[in-house]
Amino acid sequence: MASDFEVEFIERDDRNARFVVRGLTPAFANGIRRAMIADVPTMSIDTVRFVENSSVMFDEMIGLRLGLVPLTTPLDDYETGETATLALDVEGPATAYSGDLRSSDDLVQPADENIPIIELKEGQRLELEADAVLDRGREHAKHQGGVAVGYRHLQRVDVVGDAGEFDEQESNILRGVIETEDDELVLTDEFDNDLTERYPGKEVEVHDVPGAFVFHVETDGSVTAEELVLRAADSIGDRAAELEEKVAV
Amino acid sequence: MMIPVRCFTCGNVVGEHWEEFKARSAEGEDPAEVLDDLGVDRHCCRRMLVSHKDLVDVVSPYQ
Repeated sequence: MASDFEVEFIERDDRNARFVVRGLTPAFANGIRRAMIADVPTMSIDTVRFVENSSVMFDEMIGLRLGLVPLTTPLDDYETGETATLALDVEGPATAYSGDLRSSDDLVQPADENIPIIELKEGQRLELEADAVLDRGREHAKHQGGVAVGYRHLQRVDVVGDAGEFDEQESNILRGVIETEDDELVLTDEFDNDLTERYPGKEVEVHDVPGAFVFHVETDGSVTAEELVLRAADSIGDRAAELEEKVAV
Repeated sequence: MMIPVRCFTCGNVVGEHWEEFKARSAEGEDPAEVLDDLGVDRHCCRRMLVSHKDLVDVVSPYQ
């Protein structure tokens, strides 16, 4: 069971990654997906103390909007349950943006600065203090670091012959990543997701590659895609170790 | 009232794109192309922006 996984990146930047993992079972692939969604903690505003709110929205509605703003999360510096304080003070006429939040910790900042919190008219004012807490996605969706995290089977496309000369070619739509006969990994976007664009006039067969999964990971900016995947894998390892310890006689 | 911060379905942050989307589509650009340009790819996130209406101006006289 202790075999190595083979990981190959297809796309990779700060918030987005697409990679192929070989040597996985479907159960383990799903375990990683679930760990990315529910087990990697992120900072999120949880408690808000309003000093003044004369905007058109109730305190609770603004509290909800603040909670959904992604905050950059230094996972090495915080333990689950620890807090950082942020403050916001905006006077109308103006719009309060997530970028107006002032943080007590330089490492905990809004990941996106342009999210409108509330539009303030002449004479309206919003002043508040908020506590951001580190917690996991299973407690509340606002703590999910991963957005639309998923995987699908790697599919292998083999050319088996020519299509009949007068046959009408029907489009053959695939999504994600395919493996060609030359063991090349190709993103389906490159040929408009249509196999007849890549292999015109050919007859092709598509098979799932056993044990190979294409993950697509997107984050909300609180952690990088790379860190999200690594922390998810770590959390599975930690839980397995904990289980081993607990059942040991 | 205000643009939702995140997409209801997938949780992607859509609020940050609202003002640019609104300004550019008001100038007559094709909204679909603006969304493509902003990187709002999924149809769940696109509907958040396409179907939104700001209501702060409507309710503010009744404070």
